[in-house]
Amino acid sequence: MKLDGTNSLPAPVDTVWKTINDPEALRRCTPGLKELKATGPDSYQATLSIGIAAVKGTYAGTLKITDKQPNKHYKIVLEGTGGAGFMKGEGTVDLEPQGDGTLLRWAGDIQVGGLIAGVGQRMLGGVGKMLIGQFFKCLEQQFGASSPAEGASPSRGQGGR
Amino acid sequence: MSTRYLGARIPRNEDPRLLTGHGLFVDDVRLPGLAHAAVLRSPHAHARLRRVDVRRAREAPGVLAVYTAADLPASVNGPLPKLIPHPALAHHKTQYALAPEIVRYAGEAIAFVVAETRYAAEDALDLIEVDYEPRPAAAALEAAAAPGAPRVHDDMPSNVCARYTQRVGNVDAAFAAAPHRFAQRLVLDRGTASPIETRGVAAIWDERTGRFDIWDSTQAPIPIRNGLARIFGLLQESVRVVAPDVGGGFGPKVMMFYPEEILVPFAAMRLRRPVKWIEDRREHFVATNQEREQIHDAEIAVDEDGRILGVRTVFLYDAGAYNPYGLIVPIVASTTLPGPYRLPAYHCEFQAVFTNKTSVSPYRGAGRPHGVFVMERLLDRAARELGLDRAEIRRRNLIPPEAFPYDVGLIYQDQAPLRYDSGNYPACLDRALDMIGYKDWPARQRVLRAEGRYAGLGIALYVEGTGIGPYEGARVTVEPSGRVAVATGVGTQGQGHATSFAQLAAEPLGVAPRDVIVHTGDTSLFGWGTGTFASRAATVAGNAVALAAKAVREKAQLVAAGMLEAPAAEIELANGTAFVRGVPAKSVPLGDVALAANPLRFAMPAEWDGPGLEAIRYFAPPQGTFANGVHACIVEIDVETGELRFHRYAVVHDCGRVINPTILEGQIHGGVAQGVGGAFFEQLVYDEQAQPLSTTFMDYLLPTAADLPAIEVDHLETPSPLNALGVKGAGEAGVIPVPAVLAQAIDDALAPLGIRVAAMPLNPSRLYDLISDARRSA
Repeated sequence: MKLDGTNSLPAPVDTVWKTINDPEALRRCTPGLKELKATGPDSYQATLSIGIAAVKGTYAGTLKITDKQPNKHYKIVLEGTGGAGFMKGEGTVDLEPQGDGTLLRWAGDIQVGGLIAGVGQRMLGGVGKMLIGQFFKCLEQQFGASSPAEGASPSRGQGGR
Repeated sequence: MSTRYLGARIPRNEDPRLLTGHGLFVDDVRLPGLAHAAVLRSPHAHARLRRVDVRRAREAPGVLAVYTAADLPASVNGPLPKLIPHPALAHHKTQYALAPEIVRYAGEAIAFVVAETRYAAEDALDLIEVDYEPRPAAAALEAAAAPGAPRVHDDMPSNVCARYTQRVGNVDAAFAAAPHRFAQRLVLDRGTASPIETRGVAAIWDERTGRFDIWDSTQAPIPIRNGLARIFGLLQESVRVVAPDVGGGFGPKVMMFYPEEILVPFAAMRLRRPVKWIEDRREHFVATNQEREQIHDAEIAVDEDGRILGVRTVFLYDAGAYNPYGLIVPIVASTTLPGPYRLPAYHCEFQAVFTNKTSVSPYRGAGRPHGVFVMERLLDRAARELGLDRAEIRRRNLIPPEAFPYDVGLIYQDQAPLRYDSGNYPACLDRALDMIGYKDWPARQRVLRAEGRYAGLGIALYVEGTGIGPYEGARVTVEPSGRVAVATGVGTQGQGHATSFAQLAAEPLGVAPRDVIVHTGDTSLFGWGTGTFASRAATVAGNAVALAAKAVREKAQLVAAGMLEAPAAEIELANGTAFVRGVPAKSVPLGDVALAANPLRFAMPAEWDGPGLEAIRYFAPPQGTFANGVHACIVEIDVETGELRFHRYAVVHDCGRVINPTILEGQIHGGVAQGVGGAFFEQLVYDEQAQPLSTTFMDYLLPTAADLPAIEVDHLETPSPLNALGVKGAGEAGVIPVPAVLAQAIDDALAPLGIRVAAMPLNPSRLYDLISDARRSA
């Protein structure tokens, strides 16, 4: 399943770049993230707990950040397995200045299998969008203090197959 | 005089028990100390197992054992039996009870947990750590057949496991000379049988006697017993397999073996505890065989009058990840295609293709719906192009009643020549056209169209191969109580065998069918047989019952002759008594004859050939019998929603002599319901990595009673000359022509929009898309 979208963030590019590379901020903002343990540079062990439709599950896996171009671009590779199946995902994040803020473009391709595919598949697009929305909303709040609400626009994600 | 039971509408013997909740299904088996099993299944459609770590699961509370492939002895975990070989089958692959290294479909079994409760067993599944190395999956059928596709089996150069061609006449010449040729791609997608009872197995091993008792929701208890005896090194008589009440089979329950059928007895023997496993519905969607996926590129050649000069089809058949059942389904599809029509030239050619999806084996129809869909769609096309009436083009091509036996010129699924034994196809067609009001239809349709309503009529014809060998047997015994026991090897999954077999025994023995107790599917009561499949129980086992009952009748006459001091030839049996013809007062209860046939002292007459009123007989037909029929329906489509509503549904059916019309009509009704599901509701959807996406009844739509029409049924009886009863099978008749008849009715209803159905199943949403596309391009 492919999802993509853009978000306007009320902070300059270098602040956004720092935040999206900060394990602490990622831990705070990734919905359902129970544990994020660095295993090397840009490489983490993660435990994620999410519910999709009636399927609630805990997934243990890895998260890697690659193809880094500071203040511009990175790629994120996620793999997790659990009792409810598995998920595999790849996503890219691109930043560009937008006035005083930053325009963040993201795109991802998520593949799921097992119970979540068989039972939760129809919900997956909606849940994926919702989770990503939560992530960016949280990021915006990180910048909230330094930049007043005026410039903040609500996250807009657009997804679908 | 004796009462006629054959052909009578007798209420079913089994219904009082079943309807009052006294059935015994596998899940009703409660044994002291029963442990429960759960299966770890692959979430990947294709992956290598790098590591399977069950240590934490073994330590979980309540867990008795966790087995992986490494824990099973070689005798238990070899490749499962290759059931039906075929010379054209270049690659015959079966799975293991537990996957040793590679999983090839989402749902393949990896580990087997036994615990004090199912709850504990399922929790332990979550503690098993599997390190999967995912591999690219072969998902869509056509892509999987292409060179360079991800390979399901590494040791094969491609996913094509068989290529098989059959030809009748000079096809190339027929097509070359034909004034008209019409080609068409026709597709049927995947479905599943969805019996109300999923699969299940319970087993208890008795260490003292060295005996297994096993309850299995299977259509083939005897082959299961024979296979288990081999695997466990036991005498067949030491393994009792019972297929108790079974809540629907429809084909997928005639696998020998599914992994759990070996794993449950294995665990019961190892743990010295009775073990039960019941498949849950979600497991059923991945772990029980599926069917239906085929893509046909077909062409018909006709003359100016619509007479068929030739037909050819080149098709792909999706075998799924393994093909224990070989080529039965595509062979049945290609040999059912000619149907009731004369095809002077016919070419059928298929490739069977492995994909990373659940394995395919026959499901009610077993390829027949595909063949009929292709043939009937081609005739519809030819009729339209030539401006011929669709009933007329069919009539012109029918095999006439005087042409039987009729050689089609092909080899059928039983490896015997395809030869129709009897039938009256024009009479069936005429009767169906009358029932549906074909003559008046154009006028009625005009009225409806004027009201802005989209209604259409469909007719489709088929021939159903039934009653194939190799054999079945039965034992009939008259007991001193006067009641009659019948035991046969074929199991029962709701077909009413306890009634129809009772009728067959009751008739020659002159007892009421309710006094005949029928036992099916218990290997300790009858140990020879193959199973219930291919619409063969009534024909093959039924004739065995009739032959055994006839032998018992003769014995009863012999014994009663001595008691009544009259010649055996003058002894009649009726109303539970034996009496001298013309002297009803000179009679003796049949139970007394049974008692006398088993003397305690004195010499036993040599001509009795043994004690008791009992006989075992086998029936082994050299070829199958061929039933036929016509379905006709009128539907109305809401073009704003894509919803389809039936106005009428009529079935004219000829399966030779009818044993019990009520039971036969039940078979037809259920078949039509499943056919409508397969044509208009049910579809198994897989994504591009072969992940099954429709594994609940929210996503996989079964038709409900509200979606189905009232089904009007009429019977013609053209007896089969191939057996004494003159019967043919009827188990699949209701399903076979439904995609064809619905496609034609939809075309007819939506003719103003120019819609031509070429792929099934449809559903309201797909039909709505077709309508929208047609409107856009209009």
